[in-house]
Amino acid sequence: MRACAACRGAPAGHDAYTACVSAPLRPPARRCPPARAGWLAGLRTTLALALGTATLALPAAEPPTAGAPPAAPAASAAGAVSGTGQRIYAEMQPRLLQVRTLLKTQDSQSSVGSAFLVTPEGHLITNYHVVSSYALAPQRHRLVYATVDGQQGALQLLAFDVLHDLALLKPADPAPLRGRGAVPFRASDGPGSEPERGARIYSLGNPLDVGFAVTEGAYNGLAERHYLPTLFFGGSLSGGMSGGPALDAQGRLVGVNVAARRDGEQVSFLVPAALAQALLARGRNATPITQPVHAEIERQLLAHQAGLVDAFIQQPWRAASHPRYRIPVPMEAFSRCWGSGTNTATRGLVFERSDCTMDSAVFVDERLRTGTISVRHETYDGSNLGALRFQQRYNDSFHNEVVGRRDAHRVAAQCTERTVAAGGGLPLRAVVCLQAYKKLPQLFDLSVLTASLDSSHAGVQGRLDAQALSFDNAQRLARHYLEGFGWTTTPPSPQTRPKTAPAAAPKPASR
Amino acid sequence: MHAWPVTLGRALDNTWVLDDPHVAPHHATLTLGADGLPQVQVGDSRNGLQIGRRRLRAGEQMPLPAAGAVLAIGGQRLRLRLAGAPVAPEWPLAQPSVAGAALWVLLAAWVAAQVLHRWVQLDPGADLVEWLPWLLGLPTGLAVWCGLWALGSKLFRHGFEFSSHAAIALAWLLVYEVVDLLVPTTAAAFGWPWLWQVYNQWGLPLLGMLVVRSHLRQLLPQRAWAINAALATVLLAGVVVTGVINQRQLGRVFSAPYMPTLPMPALRWGATTPLPAVGDAMVPLRDALQQQARAAAAEDADSGDTGP
Repeated sequence: MRACAACRGAPAGHDAYTACVSAPLRPPARRCPPARAGWLAGLRTTLALALGTATLALPAAEPPTAGAPPAAPAASAAGAVSGTGQRIYAEMQPRLLQVRTLLKTQDSQSSVGSAFLVTPEGHLITNYHVVSSYALAPQRHRLVYATVDGQQGALQLLAFDVLHDLALLKPADPAPLRGRGAVPFRASDGPGSEPERGARIYSLGNPLDVGFAVTEGAYNGLAERHYLPTLFFGGSLSGGMSGGPALDAQGRLVGVNVAARRDGEQVSFLVPAALAQALLARGRNATPITQPVHAEIERQLLAHQAGLVDAFIQQPWRAASHPRYRIPVPMEAFSRCWGSGTNTATRGLVFERSDCTMDSAVFVDERLRTGTISVRHETYDGSNLGALRFQQRYNDSFHNEVVGRRDAHRVAAQCTERTVAAGGGLPLRAVVCLQAYKKLPQLFDLSVLTASLDSSHAGVQGRLDAQALSFDNAQRLARHYLEGFGWTTTPPSPQTRPKTAPAAAPKPASR
Repeated sequence: MHAWPVTLGRALDNTWVLDDPHVAPHHATLTLGADGLPQVQVGDSRNGLQIGRRRLRAGEQMPLPAAGAVLAIGGQRLRLRLAGAPVAPEWPLAQPSVAGAALWVLLAAWVAAQVLHRWVQLDPGADLVEWLPWLLGLPTGLAVWCGLWALGSKLFRHGFEFSSHAAIALAWLLVYEVVDLLVPTTAAAFGWPWLWQVYNQWGLPLLGMLVVRSHLRQLLPQRAWAINAALATVLLAGVVVTGVINQRQLGRVFSAPYMPTLPMPALRWGATTPLPAVGDAMVPLRDALQQQARAAAAEDADSGDTGP
């Protein structure tokens, strides 16, 4: 998906698959574990493979990577739970539930996840993505819970937080869930509100619909460079555990299971407990949702983009240290940049590429993750090629960009194009494309493509993509991005290239 | 035939014996009427005969024009011409439309254009092997194309007019090279995306149709009108169908979202706009998109899809 999107523009001859695999850290693909039946099947295969690999790798006696728990990777779900884990499971299992979204017409499940009780009256918290089918089409779905001891019943959706992927539910009939107690929240402020880094935490849920389980792992604080606060859990989370609680050794809620990286081992994510507490406070007396929630999703996404775009525009652009061009590259405050390039000794076109993407996409449904900003550029040096050959390659590179295709949620993009005078009068071809959401009428996806037009043997092409913006912010962001381009020095005459690199702008302290 | 009446049929006592199982033993008789014009009478035949659009049954009779009447008897077509009727003029033998030297000039020009093309695509110092597919593939393709048309000529014109078809193909290929260089470059130089879009969407189909038209006219010179009408219909239908599909699916006529050709610095003659103009240009996009989104949402609701 996104990982491969990042590899798509790889230089000709690079097989996209190899590129992704050979750079194991690269794909920012974040997956939400719960899911649909198809997903689970896929996951099962992956899990089997992972187990096989772990077993095979064991005799090689590789040094354990820093931060990895002593338990054998990927096997922790199966066993190796400490005494604390047993105690926590025993204490918490009455408050642990499985949430199923069923198709009304055929009673087959469209997704499963986990949940836990947070009030004695039976309010329970899970992930938004566990109940997204219901939230978007309540007339076609219904929600049911199943407890560890086999109780079942219907659920109502009270409130949700699409940005942080949380939902608040309550049972239609509270009687069977009464008297089971509630999972306590860990105090969210004050000293000691956060567990120590490396502290054991215990994640509960029903992985792959196999059965309720407890998984042990390490607390690693907030995941870095995530715009939306997300806890990094050094343990294994599998599909179906989404929405389950992650507890400290005293059985207090630290976070809610939400996602895991497939390209790593035991790199999982939790939603901080404070956000669940806020959702509970906001929604515990709400009337149950019976209509599609697009308007509320739109409201939350609008609030998200307002903050995100403000924060994005407030950070200065980072210097790309190119001798000729000033290129907008975002600070790595909440995005992650990957670079690549050709060997400078090549006979052909020499180019360098930078690709900055955000990890925290907002899950709306299986086919729509949104709310991120990504920025990319490629610089070209065709001094080995001559003007004609350079122009052919430079054009081809500008040709192969894909903008906003029509899909289930969005209509096809519309573009406007101009040659604009960027910083210092740098002539820049600018293509600005907008894409609209069918059911979120105030939101737009923005893509800006740029290509410098000042030289017959060098150039820079850039691309910014941002999803789910208000129109005003789309305008602001497009302008902000275009303003980031320019010459590094006073306009050189078109035929002479600056021989020496100007003093590079001070680099920000790396995070 | 030198005497009237003329009898036609399968029996051996006819003036003209037609060895055709769909013909009666005594199928028809041609006689000269009192007015000096021939007439035909159908004998004891099950199938009768057909003259022009008119079908005659057994026993029916019909006067014929002095020249040019075509009688369909069984599976045979007979054209009646009286001794005094004027004869159509002689057809010229098929001549190559371009003489030998000119053909070689066309070929040389095209080869030069292709070599330049390939040269631009290959990096400096590229292995000579990289030229091979190009140098073998293109002439082979051209030869196959012309050969197929020449086979058509053989079928309809009884001459394997390879060089005529080669001249047609080469001439149009050169036209394509020139147009394909000039139009996108002009569009990029002046900043005219509409020109690029029009050419990108319709240029190649139009050129293709013109090539096929030239080949077909070489093949069937008498059918010029029908060829023009058929090709124009196909082209028009293609343009309309693509336009309608794009309008429905993309909300715009043109398939490509933007003009990807960039001008070389020396050929950039279009004006630059200040940055704020870009923001203003987004406003009409917003309005069009919101309208499309509303229409698409309504369509989804109609088709029962309640997904987001």
